[in-house]
Amino acid sequence: MPSIAIIRSQVEARIPGALSVYQRPEQEVFSTGIPALDTQIGGIPKSALTQICAAPAISSGKTTLLTSLLAQVTQAEQHCAVVDASDSFSPASAAAMNVCLSRLLWVRCSSSSRLKPVEQAFKAADVLVQNGGFGIIAIDLGNIEETQIRKIPLTTWFRFARVVEKTPTALVVLMAYPAAQSCAALTLHVGQSNPHWTGTAKSSHTQILSDVQFDFEIGRTRTRKPVQNANARFTARPRWA
Amino acid sequence: MLFGCIYVPDFPVQAALRLESKAQPVALFDGPDSLLKIVASNKPARRAGVSIGMTKLQAEACGVSLRKRVQEHEDSAQIALLDCAYTFSPRLESTVPGTLVTNLTGTERLLGMGETVGLKMAALCRSTGFEVNIGIAANPDTAICAARGFAGITIIAPGEEGKRLGSLPIRVLEPASEIMDVLDAWGIRTFKHLAVLPSVALTERLGQYGLHLQRLAQGAIERELVPAELPTAFQERTELEETVELLEPLAFILNRLLEQLMDRLVDRSLATDHIELVLSLEVHPDHDVKAATPAASTTALHERTIKLPVPTQDAKVLLRLLQLDLAAHPPAAPVKAITITAIPARLRLTQTGLFQPLSPEPALLEITMARIRAVVGEQDTAGRSRVGFPTVLDSHRPDCFHVAAQGIQPKTTSQPSSCLALRLFRPALPARVELSAEQAPVWMAFQRRKARVVDASGPWRGGGSWWDATGDWLRDEWDVHINVDGAPGLYRIFRDLRTGQWFVEGMYD
Repeated sequence: MPSIAIIRSQVEARIPGALSVYQRPEQEVFSTGIPALDTQIGGIPKSALTQICAAPAISSGKTTLLTSLLAQVTQAEQHCAVVDASDSFSPASAAAMNVCLSRLLWVRCSSSSRLKPVEQAFKAADVLVQNGGFGIIAIDLGNIEETQIRKIPLTTWFRFARVVEKTPTALVVLMAYPAAQSCAALTLHVGQSNPHWTGTAKSSHTQILSDVQFDFEIGRTRTRKPVQNANARFTARPRWA
Repeated sequence: MLFGCIYVPDFPVQAALRLESKAQPVALFDGPDSLLKIVASNKPARRAGVSIGMTKLQAEACGVSLRKRVQEHEDSAQIALLDCAYTFSPRLESTVPGTLVTNLTGTERLLGMGETVGLKMAALCRSTGFEVNIGIAANPDTAICAARGFAGITIIAPGEEGKRLGSLPIRVLEPASEIMDVLDAWGIRTFKHLAVLPSVALTERLGQYGLHLQRLAQGAIERELVPAELPTAFQERTELEETVELLEPLAFILNRLLEQLMDRLVDRSLATDHIELVLSLEVHPDHDVKAATPAASTTALHERTIKLPVPTQDAKVLLRLLQLDLAAHPPAAPVKAITITAIPARLRLTQTGLFQPLSPEPALLEITMARIRAVVGEQDTAGRSRVGFPTVLDSHRPDCFHVAAQGIQPKTTSQPSSCLALRLFRPALPARVELSAEQAPVWMAFQRRKARVVDASGPWRGGGSWWDATGDWLRDEWDVHINVDGAPGLYRIFRDLRTGQWFVEGMYD
């Protein structure tokens, strides 16, 4: 009667790793530059798709989060690309957050083209992913209506997730609805903001915006143990504060 | 002294067949349309029965490929040969089309002796698209005669010129036809026969020219090379027998021309970051049959320029960029002739490091940007590029930026700072704003939304370019807090003081 150890050695000799648990290598991440967020999510995972979801018309902090991430990565001398479906990226605002603009490729989709801005954005992102060499490729669909986002087939997200899997690039998508579902390694919901004003409300000229607190919630993560209903917030100050 | 001669047999045909198979029987015709005659042919064509002076119709009966002789092909081929020879020695002579002589004195330690250097020369010429004969001798004319008379690589040691050249036929010297007839009548067929004739008697009968031919046959002429000037322009041109309408066949021709250009640049250790393409188009104007005006076609030009952020020697990258550019800006009529000019630039060599951060390959990035431009368009209504690296311009005007094909490296690096980002609406959204008695916004409506202003900060006045009637701007900015669907929205709105209209510029997000 052979012992378990002998059977195990015989099986492993023929099929290596058959009886051992696969250890997934620890995923590398980019720091977002927002300590409160990095503590919760660890960072934006490389070689994976991250979706940041927020309603289009409210101040949710999604652009602040993306610009802060771009500042971190470009200052680390890596190139980034922003595919801007609604042409809403502000270079002046990004420069104020110390994004190195010379390492930021900006693709401004056009509403006058024969293709819809969403289609243009995905085609451009496809070309960028194929080219390689970017630390972050961000697709900004933040101003696109949820109905249009829902029309994007799941296979598109699956394909993007599979392509970036073999590259050191982090694909970050800003949109109104978590359309990528399980294709995303990290889903982040950013929602309510809480603005603070200084000065007196009586005279509008003496009142200025001092800071804004943004709430966020982790919807899905593969990098860390999922944290259920983890509500957290981060603060951003305007340039003049 | 040591001289090397590069001789291209059937030069006009080889110039026409550069980068094509030389095994095919080809003959070139030229002359007035009423009397087209064969002016050059290669060995397979001669074997098929084609001879110089035949009419085009006679040559067609031999079943060989017939092409029109194009002077531009021969000019560019001669320049390519010059570039090849220049890699061996800067002292060179362009004797006649298809024949070059280089002074190899002093290059023995660098390039090798005798046959070694000959093999290198032949290999380089072969890679450029020429099958050549090489002659190496102690004087230029002996090297020329050896290259013209013997196939392959011929090396003639000093003092053996007369002996080695003796077996060559007189026609290698290419004497004038009347002299050739006289020598033929005397029974002088080879160099050896001519070399042994008494010099004085020969001079009395054929003059100084006869004596010169004899000294050439003896290999005894010592002379200096006439220095050739290397062309500074890198240009390739071809005229097409049939006009090309589609971009795909055009790409094949562009590929050939670009490869030729890049070969020349590589020979000179140069690269290019600027390509100019000129397509000559065949334009047929409307023809009025009733007026019986003669049918005339005018040629228009279609010019395109490609600029790269870094110099490249890669013909495939340039071809892809030209293809994308021509797909976006196709010529309006069939293409009749193509001219490509490369502006030379020094090759930028950079040492890549193991720990260097991730960055896209510059040449590939240029192709990527061109492909994206084909999707999103080239420029917006303000003339700013839709793809590229943004730069904030030194101006107080809001949203004033430029998008360049290449990022300008900052002089200093700074730490990233986390502050509130602004998300813009381009163009700014028109809005209706109700003001309080203190002239502060209390209600605003835009994009089918109406909301009460919870908090407001302003007005912050800005203006500029008042000296410019078309570019002046003057406005009052407000930061407002409204509730959209129950959630706070922080917007930047402004009032254009010239028109009194309100706009939503962006959202703090």
